[in-house]
Amino acid sequence: MSSHQPVVVLENVGVTYPNGHVALEGVSVSLAPGKIYGLVGVNGAGKSTLFKSIMGFVKPTSGQVLIEGKGVWEALRSNLVSYVPQTEDVDWNFPVLVEDVVMMGRYGHMGFLRRPKAADKAAAAEALARVGMEKYSKRQIGELSGGQKKRVFVARALAQGGEIILLDEPFTGVDIKTEESLITLFRALVAEGRLILVSTHDLGSVPYFCDEVVLINRTLLACGPVETTFTQENLIRAFGGMLRHHRMAGDDLHDDTDARRLTVLSDDERPLVLYGEAGGEKIVTGAKDGKP
Amino acid sequence: MMEMLLEPFSYVYMQKAIAVCGLVGGVSAFLSAYLVLKGWSLMGDALSHSIVPGVAIAYMLGFPYAAGAFFAGVLAALSMAMVKKASGLREDTVIGLVFTTFFAVGLLLVSINPTAVNIQAIILGNILAISDSDIFQVALISGISLFVLLLKWKDLAAVFFDENHARSVGLKVDFLKILFFTLLSATTVAALQTVGACLVIAMVVTPGASAYLLTDRFGRMIVIAVVLGSVTSALGAYLSFFVNASTGGLIVTMQTLIFLGVFLFAPKHGVLRARWRRRAA
Ligand SMILES: Nc1ncnc2c1ncn2[C@@H]1O[C@H](COP(=O)(O)OP(=O)(O)OP(=O)(O)O)[C@@H](O)[C@H]1O
Ligand SMILES: [Mg+2]
Repeated sequence: MSSHQPVVVLENVGVTYPNGHVALEGVSVSLAPGKIYGLVGVNGAGKSTLFKSIMGFVKPTSGQVLIEGKGVWEALRSNLVSYVPQTEDVDWNFPVLVEDVVMMGRYGHMGFLRRPKAADKAAAAEALARVGMEKYSKRQIGELSGGQKKRVFVARALAQGGEIILLDEPFTGVDIKTEESLITLFRALVAEGRLILVSTHDLGSVPYFCDEVVLINRTLLACGPVETTFTQENLIRAFGGMLRHHRMAGDDLHDDTDARRLTVLSDDERPLVLYGEAGGEKIVTGAKDGKP
Repeated sequence: MMEMLLEPFSYVYMQKAIAVCGLVGGVSAFLSAYLVLKGWSLMGDALSHSIVPGVAIAYMLGFPYAAGAFFAGVLAALSMAMVKKASGLREDTVIGLVFTTFFAVGLLLVSINPTAVNIQAIILGNILAISDSDIFQVALISGISLFVLLLKWKDLAAVFFDENHARSVGLKVDFLKILFFTLLSATTVAALQTVGACLVIAMVVTPGASAYLLTDRFGRMIVIAVVLGSVTSALGAYLSFFVNASTGGLIVTMQTLIFLGVFLFAPKHGVLRARWRRRAA
């Protein structure tokens, strides 16, 4: 587990939807265990498409995806990958309780009859507790708020316990407190040697919890450690005019000749704050003091 | 009085009819739990009409009707699943499309090669008149279906709830779907011989609908549906000994009355209770 060989490898992946829309083109990235990768890009950049092609739910029209050297189906069979989609396409009136949904995450670990063992029950209960939903375990799944539903599906993925965890915008519609406890949880999971790929619109939180970023817009724009890749230049390439951009420099900030300036980049949530002299600006992670 | 009530049990044919009806009713109800949830309630109706070409061809070639019916049923169910997947049309449209096609082909075959008498007998089914070998066949089909459902009900529920997730935990989704449709077709054919076409549809819908209103857990929903389905079916066969009425008619009337009761009085989802709770709040 401690080997840092890449476990998810995309080789020249391209996806063209049946309507002719080219959602991804020539994407090659390798993701190694023990890290959180932030997947960043504008609406329609192809983030969800990338997740779906890793899961095999859309077939790449070119290239291939390898998971621990295996094809996607084989990897899913051996329960390697947990996935939380951006929007759950389930019937909310289905007669299942929150705890039943989380238990479904354990099916791959159970025998032929899917009878939960003590270990399965413990894993499901722990996952629910980790997203702070244990009080709701006996609720029917449709009787929850949007953010609560999202938390349940994150819990289902946690209960599944895959080595590779894919989260498509897990923080959208989730309150700050839950977001922070999820982030703590994700850090703990990668410390155990798992790999997490998470897409987000929350630019400010990327340096706060990700190790590496993957910037895409139909093709791969940049990929690498946050410090070197998550730069203003790359972000402007990824977002173009879509980014809210506030810069306060020189006179706005100080009365002296200090050349340092403050740049605030935000998509819609927590802003990304850069401070320093032009070209030498550093990411400001704010009161949070870097990664927990 | 007691003697009169026990009288049906003194006839072997009644004993068999009651047992087989209960079994078929139970399996149909089991499947109804899934159909109700998926919005495939008309599937039973569709399948019972789709078997006509199978029966007609079986007659021409001298095969057993049940085999022809079963194959036509499976083929229809799979066509529905495939057309749905490929076209993205809504379930009701797809079901309507496929079953009218099958039914039309069946009518065409029957008009070319008149065999209508036998098809009538199969479509109208009558448990009290059914032969011993047919009873055995119906019991066997239902028994196997019930056994498979008991083994795989959780996997099927996971697939019906969230197909993509079921895939991601390594379930064989396509196999399970084909399995479900095969069981459904087999059970529909079996039910046809006992209650007839018009009533098959009720048997694969009503118990599931009642159960749905009574619980928030799928496992319990199945248990409730199966109990309702098998008890009403066995009772229907029993009662038809006294009142000279069609067995199927009795069964479905009872199931509908139960549904009405549940619809009004169910503790959580019943209409009256919900209104009362809102007023109390
Ligand atoms: N099923 C589909 N058929 C055709 N085109 C699609 C389909 N799904 C997505 N697309 C298109 O592919 C592109 C990429 O979509 P995708 O959902 O991957 O974007 P995204 O990066 O996840 O965006 P968001 O930030 O809004 O979630 C978009 O332009 C979208 O319109
Ligand atoms: Mg998306």
